[in-house]
Amino acid sequence: MSRPRKDPRAERAAQRVAGATRPRFDLARTPETATSGRPRRDPRAEERLALVPGTLRRRLDRTRRAGEAAIPAPQPLATPAPDAPALRRIPEPAFLVALVPDAPGGRLTPHDRQLFGAARLLADAGGGAVVALVDPAADDLAAAGADRVLTLPVSGYDPEGKALALDAALAALGLRHLLFPESAEGGDLARRVAALSGEALFAGAESLTAKAVTRAAHGRRTEQRGAPPTLISLAPDAVAPHAGTLHEALPVAFAFPATTGGAILAAEFVAADPARVSLAEADFVTSAGNGVSDFETFRALIAALGATPGASRMVCDAGLMPRAAQVGASGTVLDARCYFALGIAGAPQHLQGVAKCEHVVAVNTDLHAAMIERAGLAIVADAQEVMPALLRLIAEEASA
Amino acid sequence: MRIAVLLSAGRHAVSGRPAPVPVELQAVGLAADFVERHGADLTGLHAGPDVGPLRDALGHGLPNLVHLVTGADDDPLPSLAAALREGAFDLILAGRVAQGGEDSGLLPYALARALGLPIVSDAAALAPGETPGTLNVEQALPRGARRRLLVRLPVLVTVHPAAPAARPFAFAGARRGILETRPGLAAPRASTGLEERPYRPRPKLIAKAAAGASAAERLKAATEAASGGGRLLVDPPPEEAAREILAYLAGIGVVAKR
Ligand SMILES: Cc1cc2nc3c(=O)[nH]c(=O)nc-3n(C[C@H](O)[C@H](O)[C@H](O)COP(=O)(O)OP(=O)(O)OC[C@H]3O[C@@H](n4cnc5c(N)ncnc54)[C@H](O)[C@@H]3O)c2cc1C
Repeated sequence: MSRPRKDPRAERAAQRVAGATRPRFDLARTPETATSGRPRRDPRAEERLALVPGTLRRRLDRTRRAGEAAIPAPQPLATPAPDAPALRRIPEPAFLVALVPDAPGGRLTPHDRQLFGAARLLADAGGGAVVALVDPAADDLAAAGADRVLTLPVSGYDPEGKALALDAALAALGLRHLLFPESAEGGDLARRVAALSGEALFAGAESLTAKAVTRAAHGRRTEQRGAPPTLISLAPDAVAPHAGTLHEALPVAFAFPATTGGAILAAEFVAADPARVSLAEADFVTSAGNGVSDFETFRALIAALGATPGASRMVCDAGLMPRAAQVGASGTVLDARCYFALGIAGAPQHLQGVAKCEHVVAVNTDLHAAMIERAGLAIVADAQEVMPALLRLIAEEASA
Repeated sequence: MRIAVLLSAGRHAVSGRPAPVPVELQAVGLAADFVERHGADLTGLHAGPDVGPLRDALGHGLPNLVHLVTGADDDPLPSLAAALREGAFDLILAGRVAQGGEDSGLLPYALARALGLPIVSDAAALAPGETPGTLNVEQALPRGARRRLLVRLPVLVTVHPAAPAARPFAFAGARRGILETRPGLAAPRASTGLEERPYRPRPKLIAKAAAGASAAERLKAATEAASGGGRLLVDPPPEEAAREILAYLAGIGVVAKR
């Protein structure tokens, strides 16, 4: 693509006849080496490579994501392998900071990790250790920042029994702080423990340091501030999660008092019905844009995937989907884990609604659509062909 | 069966003027629906210096409201506990958190502890259980999931905003409703020992990387979401595209792996 760049001054100097009083040049002589060493760009060759094949209009893909294989990438500089985080042991802690992560299904949520960050902040200020109080044991507690792990004796949904166990641990282990996430389950538990132990709860801490915590009160009109008390529940996105060091996560034994059955006689989990759940709450949203014309197939696909239906404004304006399904700045801002966009260009107003989604899949005929740029898996294809293919594949897998 | 709904003196979220708390009006709606379907006594309870706009709850489906008059700096807990004990209620409904006071959501829990009642949080629907003396509670969980609980009465239940919308205000109902005023118990509130100052919104944490991470990692975490930079397939056959999409969706766990 590039050839050596000409350096006319060096060429001229090479043609100079030595020894004359006046400068004389032998123009017939061809210089052997007269290049500057800097390669010369060949814009036409670059353009040929950036040309997207198979489109009616001439299109250039300057990011060259499609043709990457064709062009040898410049050798990346050798980066040193990141070293594994160092293990930190705290054999004799000065005090204990305990926390109760939600960990649904044994998996730490981002909020739980922030809770670990807060606990480390409080513990590291004075040589304390972090105790994670979990039921059933959650994964990677060592990386999250737990020095000790205590498993609570609870089975099924029994917040009363869990609160009693926590209250016993709070009194017997002499915990300096007990932290909860201010989530549906964690907040409930925190208040139960506060009522049982008679300690004041600092509910919904919005900032936390070893010296002071703050929270909003009086309808978010005043801010209360004080030294960190024993019971704290932490608002989401208030403290950064812990990283950098690995901790021991040593199991600890503790004799919990036996609990008797509470007032809850039966508990049954009912999974959300994706067709009925509101867009703001949905976990997985599949959206149609102006590029979708076959809405029968789109509805069948939503039912087959078990997704909550969404749409761009163009589709809602046309009356093809209800207004409640509109995703974006003037529709609903999603909190979903995954967003699947079919035939959506990705206007800024639409992308605002998708900003919080972790995973995005896009199908669009236009390689240059902003949605393709945003997606984790981008497919440049006709949505009307991909949708039936997906339906066929799902039916095939279901029958197999 | 006797049902009590606890009402707190709230403040409007935007204007800051005294107003009922929306979720407590939803609790009134839940209780009124329960009364219409299954028959019960329904009473509202408020402890505070002044009823003010809580009188509106009568127009939202509450037949009568008992106002326990206490001082402005009094703790409502003893007054409410005494009134609830005296009324021998089977079901006590409350909101999740108040709006305008301490706003810690502790009162229902402290009340349940004082009365020796079990407490169930975040109800979105109520129905009587099959055996008498039990109650079916549908608990709202995050992401639209639900949990069906069967609890023994008497019980204290807090209501979630996912419960059906409050009934619209009806002027005739507000005229018909009875407001009863009784003296409450004086119980000066213990000082929290917290410093108070005007609220200042704090910046939310945006970057997903931790504080201990290197600058490059933090920059990557802050810019990653916006640029995607994922896999790109140009003009694949529809079957291959479908396979890729399904594998991706199964990989992140939103559709079941087969
Ligand atoms: C004040 C204001 C607020 C707005 N708020 C919102 C909002 O909240 N939500 C919102 O969505 N919009 C909003 N908009 C509108 C927004 O600017 C865009 O107009 C809209 O999002 C575009 O929708 P679209 O991507 O479906 O349509 P288009 O822009 O028409 O894009 C269609 C896409 O589909 C592709 N396509 C075409 N045929 C196919 C096919 N067969 N297979 C696959 N792909 C195909 C095309 O390549 C194109 O990328 C707002 C606008 C304004 C001015």
